[in-house]
Amino acid sequence: MTERDRLNVTRRTVLEGAAAVAAGGVLPASFPSIAAAAEETHTMVIAAPATPQSLDHEFDVSLGTIDSVGGLYDNLLEYEKVHDPKDPEALREDISVHTDRPYNLALKGKLAEKWEVSPDGTVGRFTLRQGVKSNWANELTADDVKWTWDRKLHLNGLGPFQTGVLGITKEEQIQVDGRYVISFHVPKPNPLLLKQMVNLSNPVYDATKCKQVSSSDDPWAHKFLENNTAGFGPYVVSQLTRGQQAVFKARADYYRGKPYMDTVIFKEVPTSASRLSLLQGGSVDIAQFLQPLEYITLTKASGVKVDAVPASFAIWIELNAKIKPFDNVKVRQAMNYALPRDDVLKAVYHGLADKQTGCIPIIYPNFTDKFWTYDTNLDKAKALLTEAGFKDGFKSTLSYNAGDPVQEPIAILYQTSLRKIGVEITLNKVPAATFYDFVTKREQPMIFYLDSPWVPDPGYSTQLYFNSKSYVDYSNYVNPEVDDLIKSGLETLDPKVRDETYTRVQQLVMGDAPWGFIVWPRYVLARRANLEGFTYYTSNNLRFQDFHR
Amino acid sequence: MALSPNQPGGPIWSTGRRGAGGRARFALRYFIQLLRTHPVYAGGYVIVAVVAIFALAAPLVAPYSPITADPSVYLLPPSFSHLFGTDVTGMDVLSRVIFAPRIDLAIALVGTGLSAAIGTFLGALVGYHQDARGVPRFLSGFVMRSADVLQAFPVFVFAIALVAVFGQSIASVVFAIAFVNIPIYLRLMRSQVMNIRRMRYVEAAYVSGMPDSYIIRRHVVPNAIAPVLAQLSVNIGWSILLTAGLSFVGAGVRAPTPEWGSMIATGFPNIMTGQWWPSLFPGLALAVTVYGFGIIGASIEFMADPRRRRTLANAGGPIRDPGE
Repeated sequence: MTERDRLNVTRRTVLEGAAAVAAGGVLPASFPSIAAAAEETHTMVIAAPATPQSLDHEFDVSLGTIDSVGGLYDNLLEYEKVHDPKDPEALREDISVHTDRPYNLALKGKLAEKWEVSPDGTVGRFTLRQGVKSNWANELTADDVKWTWDRKLHLNGLGPFQTGVLGITKEEQIQVDGRYVISFHVPKPNPLLLKQMVNLSNPVYDATKCKQVSSSDDPWAHKFLENNTAGFGPYVVSQLTRGQQAVFKARADYYRGKPYMDTVIFKEVPTSASRLSLLQGGSVDIAQFLQPLEYITLTKASGVKVDAVPASFAIWIELNAKIKPFDNVKVRQAMNYALPRDDVLKAVYHGLADKQTGCIPIIYPNFTDKFWTYDTNLDKAKALLTEAGFKDGFKSTLSYNAGDPVQEPIAILYQTSLRKIGVEITLNKVPAATFYDFVTKREQPMIFYLDSPWVPDPGYSTQLYFNSKSYVDYSNYVNPEVDDLIKSGLETLDPKVRDETYTRVQQLVMGDAPWGFIVWPRYVLARRANLEGFTYYTSNNLRFQDFHR
Repeated sequence: MALSPNQPGGPIWSTGRRGAGGRARFALRYFIQLLRTHPVYAGGYVIVAVVAIFALAAPLVAPYSPITADPSVYLLPPSFSHLFGTDVTGMDVLSRVIFAPRIDLAIALVGTGLSAAIGTFLGALVGYHQDARGVPRFLSGFVMRSADVLQAFPVFVFAIALVAVFGQSIASVVFAIAFVNIPIYLRLMRSQVMNIRRMRYVEAAYVSGMPDSYIIRRHVVPNAIAPVLAQLSVNIGWSILLTAGLSFVGAGVRAPTPEWGSMIATGFPNIMTGQWWPSLFPGLALAVTVYGFGIIGASIEFMADPRRRRTLANAGGPIRDPGE
C-alpha cells in the first residue's frame, strides 16, 4: 500500500480541500491575472512563501533573496551538472572528488574562462571572459571582482565569514594582475579557494555602476543593491513589491544567451495550502516549500510533477553541552538512541527525507555513515542514562520554531519516546521571528535547528558546526582534537589526507553526539509537468535560467 | 416606604420575609417552568452539562491517552477503533476532544471569574461614587479612563501581546482573558449601580446611617448583579473562543496539551490533503460548547427581567413567590 493509498488521498478529497480553502478566501485576489500570464509560454510564475526582503545577499539569506540572487548574478565558476541518480529528470552539481581532474574538481568556467592554483596552493588566479556586459552595459573586468571582494572585507555582513574561511583579511590579498586577470593570495594551501568561487554567496557585482550610485554614507552601494541589480547574471529585477511580488526580466545581452523564460513572476503566497491549490489549478508553474503530505498528494495529480532529491539540508536538535545534563556525553548519546527517526520519516516526512546517519550532508564528499550507531533503542538509552547517573530520568525543555510545521510533530513524537525512559520534556513553541535569537544565544538546553552548509566540502561543513570557535557552533560543542583536525584538513589539498582527516572528525563527532541527529530533508520541487530543467544546487535555491518548457 | 421584591423601584432578588428554603423552591420551580416553556434554553444547559461531565470524567471515558503519540496509526480516518480518527502524530482525536474542555473550560471559567470579580468590585465602587467629590471622584475618573485605554486595543491582539509578555502558559492565558474582560464588567456594573443608588431603599439605608461599604454590599450589588450573571455565561463562551483563538495562532497552551484551538490549528493544513477529521471534530465541539453557553446566557437574561418573569409566571400557572 502506498503512502497515498494509506492516507486515503483521492482526487476528490484534495479538490474538496482546495474548495474549502478557496471558499475561505485565502487565495490572493490578484491571481486571475497571474493565471493568464502563466499561460504565456515564456513566463514562469512561482508561488513562494515570501518575496525577497533584500536583493543584497550580503545582509540577507532569506529564501526569496537566495532565489533572486541565483538569477541576477553570476559567479566566476560553476560545477558541471550530472543527472540525479534518484530522479533522472533532475540535474545536480557534480561535487564529487575527481582525482583525475585538475584540483580534483569537476569545474566549469562561468565569468572566468581560465583558472589556476599555484603549486603551493596559496595563489588562485582567474582569467575573466572578455566582452561580458552587466545589465548597465559595463564590461566585466578584474576591477569588478576586486571591488566585490573588497566589499566583503568592509561590510559587517556575510562577507567576513566568506573571506575568513579562505584566510583573506586584507585587500592586498586580492590583486588585479591585468584588465581581465585577478588573483587571490591565501596564507596557506586552501581546498576551498575554487569552491568559494562557485558559492552563491560570492557573486560578482558591476563595480562601475555601484561606484556611481555610492555615497559617503553608503560607499558600498548597499541601499542601491537592496532594490536593484548591478551584475552579470541572466536576469534583472523589474519590480520588487515586498509582500506581494517580484518580477524578473531576462537579459537579451546575457553572455550565455537569453534564458528561455522571458519573465519570472515571484509571487508571495504565505500559506502552503494556497500554493498547493494554485499549482493544481495551473495558476502557477512552481509551488515552493509545501508540506510533505501536500507533496504526496501531488504525486499523482495530473499536470503536476514532484521532484525530490537528496540535499544539503539537515534538521537536528542542538544538545547544549554547557547545560546539564547535556554536558554528559552519555546523556547526549542516550538522547540519540531515544530519537524515533523511522517514525519521523514515516509520519512527518512521508518518505521525503533520509535518516541523518552522519554529521555532514550525505551528498558531500568524504561523508561516511560507518560511525552511525544510533538506531532507536530505548533499552540502550535507558542503560546510558543509568550509567550517567540519571536512572530515574530528568526534566528538560525542547524549543522549536513555530514557523516550521514539521518541528512540532517531531517534538511530540520525541516527547512520547523520551517519556518511556523517564525523561520529561516540556515543548516550548518559539515564534518564528524570535526563534533565531533563541538559537544564537545558546541558552536553551535543547533546540531544533535546520540548516545547510552551502559549500560541498567536509572541512567547510564541520568548521561551521563543530569548531568550538565557530559562531554557528550552537550546541556549545568543544573538542580540541576536532578543532585541530578541522583546521589541518582546511590547510591541505591532498585528497587522501583530507579523507582520513575528516573521517576521523566524523568519528569523533558522532561519538560525542553534540546533536540529536534527526533527518536530512530532501529538496522537493512541485512544478507543472511541462516545466523542465530543474537543477539542484547545494545552496538549495532555484536558478530561473535553468527552466524551459 | 418598604418596597416589595420585583416591584418597580424595589430590589429584584429580595430577601425580606421568605426564608432561604422558600426562595430556593421558588427559584427551582420557576427555572423548571422556564425550561418547559423554552426548550432551547434546556438544550443549552444540557450541552454545557454534557461537556462538563465529559471534562470531569475524561480519564474514565476517553479510550486513549490524549498526549501519547502513536506514529503507527497517524492520520487514520474515523473508524471503530478511533471514532474521530487520529492526528498527524497518531493521537486519538476523540480522546483529545474529550480531554480538551478540562483546559478550555478551566481557563475560561477562571479567567472570566477573575474578570467578573474585579470588574464588578471596581464597577460598584466607581458607580456608587460617581457624583462624589475629591479623591473618590478622581479615582473614579482614573479607573474609567484606564478602562477606555484598555478597550481601545483590539481584544485579540491585546491578549496575544499579554501572552507574549508573560510567556506561553495556561496561567498567562488566564491572566490575558481576565485582563481584557475587566472593562466589560466594570462598565456593566457601574451603569447598574448608578441607577440603583438613586433608589429609595438605598437612600433609606443611607439616611439610617449605614456605611457606604455596607450599603454597596447589602443593597446595591445584590440588585445590580443580574446582568453581570447573564454576561458571565456569554463571556465564558467567548473566553473559550479566545483561548482557542490564542492556541490557534500559537500563543495559547503548549503542545501537546489537548485544547480545541490548538487541535484545529494542527489539523487545519491537512484539510487540503483530504484529512478533515483532526480539525473538524474539535471545531464542532468548540462551536457547540460556545453555543451552549450563549443559550444559558440568554436564559439568565430572561430570568433577570422582572417583566418577562411575571409573564412567564402568569402563563405557567401557580408559581407564586413566597415572599410576596
